[in-house]
Amino acid sequence: MSMLGKSRVFAATICLLTFGLAAAGAEDKPPIKIGFASAQSGFMAAYDIPSTNAALLAIEQLNEKGGLLGRKIEPVLRDMKTDAALSAKVGAELAADGVDLIVTTSDYDLGGPAALAAKEKGVIAFAPGAADPKMGVQGVGWQTFTANGAAQVEGIIMAEWAFKKKGFKTAYVLQDDLLEYNKSGCAGFRAAWTKLAGEQGIVGRDNFMNSDPSIAVQISRIKSTKPAPDAIYMCTLPPGGASAVRQIRAAGIQTPILANVGMTDDYWISATPDLSNFYNPTMMSIFGDDPSPKVQEFAAAYTKKYGTRVPQAYASVGYLVIQAWSTAVKRAGTTDAKAVVAELEKFKDEDLLLGPTTFNPELHIQTHRPLLVMEVQDGKHHSVERYRNEMIPDMDLLFRVGKYQ
Amino acid sequence: MIDFLQVVVDAASLGSLYALLALAIGLLFGIMRLVNFAQGDYITLGAYALILPSGDAVATMLVGSWPWPAMVLTVVVVCVIAALLTERLVFRPLRRADSETLLIASFAVSFLIQNVVLVVYGGRPKSAGILDGLTESVTLFGNLRVAGVELVTLAAVAVLSVGLVLFLQYTSLGVQMRAVAEDFRMAQLLGVRGNRVVAIAFGISGLIGGITSVLIVAQTGVLDYRMGVLVIVYAFFATVVGGMGSLIGAALGGFVIGSLSVFLQAYLPVDMRPFRDAFLFTIVIAILLLRPQGLIVPRGARERV
Repeated sequence: MSMLGKSRVFAATICLLTFGLAAAGAEDKPPIKIGFASAQSGFMAAYDIPSTNAALLAIEQLNEKGGLLGRKIEPVLRDMKTDAALSAKVGAELAADGVDLIVTTSDYDLGGPAALAAKEKGVIAFAPGAADPKMGVQGVGWQTFTANGAAQVEGIIMAEWAFKKKGFKTAYVLQDDLLEYNKSGCAGFRAAWTKLAGEQGIVGRDNFMNSDPSIAVQISRIKSTKPAPDAIYMCTLPPGGASAVRQIRAAGIQTPILANVGMTDDYWISATPDLSNFYNPTMMSIFGDDPSPKVQEFAAAYTKKYGTRVPQAYASVGYLVIQAWSTAVKRAGTTDAKAVVAELEKFKDEDLLLGPTTFNPELHIQTHRPLLVMEVQDGKHHSVERYRNEMIPDMDLLFRVGKYQ
Repeated sequence: MIDFLQVVVDAASLGSLYALLALAIGLLFGIMRLVNFAQGDYITLGAYALILPSGDAVATMLVGSWPWPAMVLTVVVVCVIAALLTERLVFRPLRRADSETLLIASFAVSFLIQNVVLVVYGGRPKSAGILDGLTESVTLFGNLRVAGVELVTLAAVAVLSVGLVLFLQYTSLGVQMRAVAEDFRMAQLLGVRGNRVVAIAFGISGLIGGITSVLIVAQTGVLDYRMGVLVIVYAFFATVVGGMGSLIGAALGGFVIGSLSVFLQAYLPVDMRPFRDAFLFTIVIAILLLRPQGLIVPRGARERV
């Protein structure tokens, strides 16, 4: 072997050794741990399992590309069993285990306790679907975020879209008093609708309880409203919302119905199998017709991994949690909570799965991200378009204080 | 402004549903001093029999896709079996227990059934549109509107309450039931097969539960593992208002509670309507302060308390 040949072999050996060592180093580095304080049982499980699965998909995709900061990501799943007290306990256990991020259950009331326990140890908490800005700086704390938009935005988007794109001028607002989420949706709708159509644009208001077996008298009031509204806006969710839609249509009222994200997807549609003229905003279409290529790609990957269509639109925010947090970690070069929060708060129209996503030191919730408007005709869901709101809710509207009480 | 007569029709329709629920509660209370909170969960079980047992988001019809007579019969049978099983496994062993123990036991049964449904079907509400034709509104006297299913509910209450009263008054089994209600031990000594009589009473409450189950799903089109509990509370108040132990009182109480709820919803100012139930229960408390024994006092209950 010539001198040159020897040096080549030597160089190659060095190269291999270095590479091998480097690779061994990546394997040796302790993994980044992401804790899930989500519901694997109890009634929230139906909502949490798909969004947790979507988050696990995002983690798998990151790991396939070598992990994060050269470290593998290891998910740690704990069941909070749809119980607020257990949420706090599981949150505290995960934080004590040294996880770098806690993904809570979707709901503010049930996820808040885990996020609060995370705050004690300075761990970032991220709720996939909470629509209440209290899941953030003003409520739980500086290290708490939600991947969802504020409930008010759902109402605002529906109002602006229906007014501008459908040409509706008058609306009847039917509020389900079960959740603060519903009330915030209706507050957003009323604020945007009166801004566009004036006070007289809302021709009637009523409320019902989600558990009411009959809304006959609410229907009588809609029927006696003169002039008849161009549209009925409902801030609700199944089962009561689906029951109300069935009863309204059975009473012969064919007025277009506008709803909030609570009425997303088709699992309630058999209550009114031939439903038409129904519109609701949502995060994504689970029916294979989402106009966004990114969402299409996500849906395909979900189906490949789990063998089913994406079970609910809310799954997408589970994916977005990991996407947002890992982007901030990459930029910060560390998983240190303070540094990652600082990076998250620099997000300005960050191009994530569901569109431009923004966080800042005041708001850890979306107030200006588009939602996909869905239309139901003859019992079939179709996506229409992603619509971005023009009116951005102010703090009074977000916290429903002052004139929005 | 809503037409007053329309509000009266709406009040009668909600009232009839509560009356139907209250009949079952009232029957068992009259016979064995048991406030059976699990009655609501029989309704839930009957309703879930309509769909295939699965945690899938979109429900697939099972019994719900059968011709209506078979569907109604099956739901009723499911409810009757549920009622009979709880009687045999839980309430019969507790026969000598005091009514507080029975009440707690009924909560336990209720909790158990809800959790079984939760495990088998998942926590997401499901939908099941049945008897769609029946849900459509019909017009009465020119301009009054009522859903077909509400007329059927009204008819069911009338038939069942009158039928039950006649049954208790004029049949041998009915007389035995009243004897058991008076004094279980004495009735047994006189040759009444007490356990059988109580089981039949549970069977009847299951029958009423099954009919209610079909009517509620026809009205709402949705299923939820708490669907029975949420309505049974109103039925319980209806029974108390009507007079514990009186069947006609229970039915009357149902109409009172349903009507109050509808009238408050119709005539409260919009910002006060979210507090409808607070007003409703304030009125219930006022009624009970004026008539602690309820609107109708059964003969057997007079010397009690």
